[in-house]
Amino acid sequence: MSRKPSILIVDDEVNVARTLKMVFEHEGYEATTAHSCAEALELLSNSHVFDIVMTDLNMEKEDIGLEVARKAMHLKPRPVVVICTGFASTFNASAALKIQVDYLATKPADLKELTNALNRLVMLRRASGKGGA
Amino acid sequence: MATANVSQPKMALVVHADMGVLSAFQGALTKNDFVTIVARDVPTTLLAMTQHYFDLAIVSSHLNEPGDGWPVAGVLHLAFPKCFVAVLAPETSVLTLQAAINNGVREIYHQSTPAAEVVAAILAELSPSSSGRNSKKLQ
Repeated sequence: MSRKPSILIVDDEVNVARTLKMVFEHEGYEATTAHSCAEALELLSNSHVFDIVMTDLNMEKEDIGLEVARKAMHLKPRPVVVICTGFASTFNASAALKIQVDYLATKPADLKELTNALNRLVMLRRASGKGGA
Repeated sequence: MATANVSQPKMALVVHADMGVLSAFQGALTKNDFVTIVARDVPTTLLAMTQHYFDLAIVSSHLNEPGDGWPVAGVLHLAFPKCFVAVLAPETSVLTLQAAINNGVREIYHQSTPAAEVVAAILAELSPSSSGRNSKKLQ
C-alpha cells in the first residue's frame, strides 16, 4: 500500500492555511502548515521531506515566498513546488518561471482545479521515480 | 566486440502556423546542428512526437486559435521531460507567465523576436556556463 502524500502549506493568513490543510487532508494528504517564510525554511532545513511545498508569496516581506520556492527546488528528493498567491505580477511570475516552479495558482484558487493539478504532479513525480519521501 | 561510436543528432521541433516562421527557425536551428522537424498543426505535432525524441521544442501559443499552443507545449513537456520547451507568445501578462509555468514551459519569447535571436537565447540558456538571462525574453 502506498503511503499518504505529504504537503507543506505556507501562508501567513492562518485561516487560509487552515482551510487548505483541511482541503488537502480531505484529498488524502498529510498536511503541515507554516505561517511564515522563516518557519517554512526551518522545516525544510530540518530533514522534513514533502511531496509538495505550496507557498504564498507575500508574507514577512513582499515576494518572500520565492525564497521558500527556491529552497524547495534544491531539496533532494525535490518536491513539487507550487506558488499560490493573491498578488501575482509579471515580476514575481517571471521569477517563478525562472526558478522553474511546477505550478502557479492565483487566489481565490479554484480548489478542484488546484487539487487535480497537484494530484497529477505528484503522480507524475512518483511514476518517474523522483517522488518525495 | 567493438561498439559503434554513434552520436545522436540533437532534435528540435518547431510548431507554428506560419510557413515563413517555420522556415526561419529551421534555418537558424540547422545552423546550430539541430535536426529540425516542423509542424503547422496539432495532428502533425503528435505524429512527429511518435517518431522522434526531441531535445528542444519551440511552439507558438497561437496555432489554430489563440492559446491552443499552450497545451501542445504541456504535452511536449510531459512526453519529453528533459526537452527545453519554449513558447512564442504575443504579450507579457501574468496569465501568459502562469500558462508557461503550469505547462512546464522553460522560457517564453515575444512572437516578433527574430528566429536567430530566439535560438541564440535558447542555446545560451542550455549552455552549462550560462547565467541564462536574455534581454529578448518577454519582460
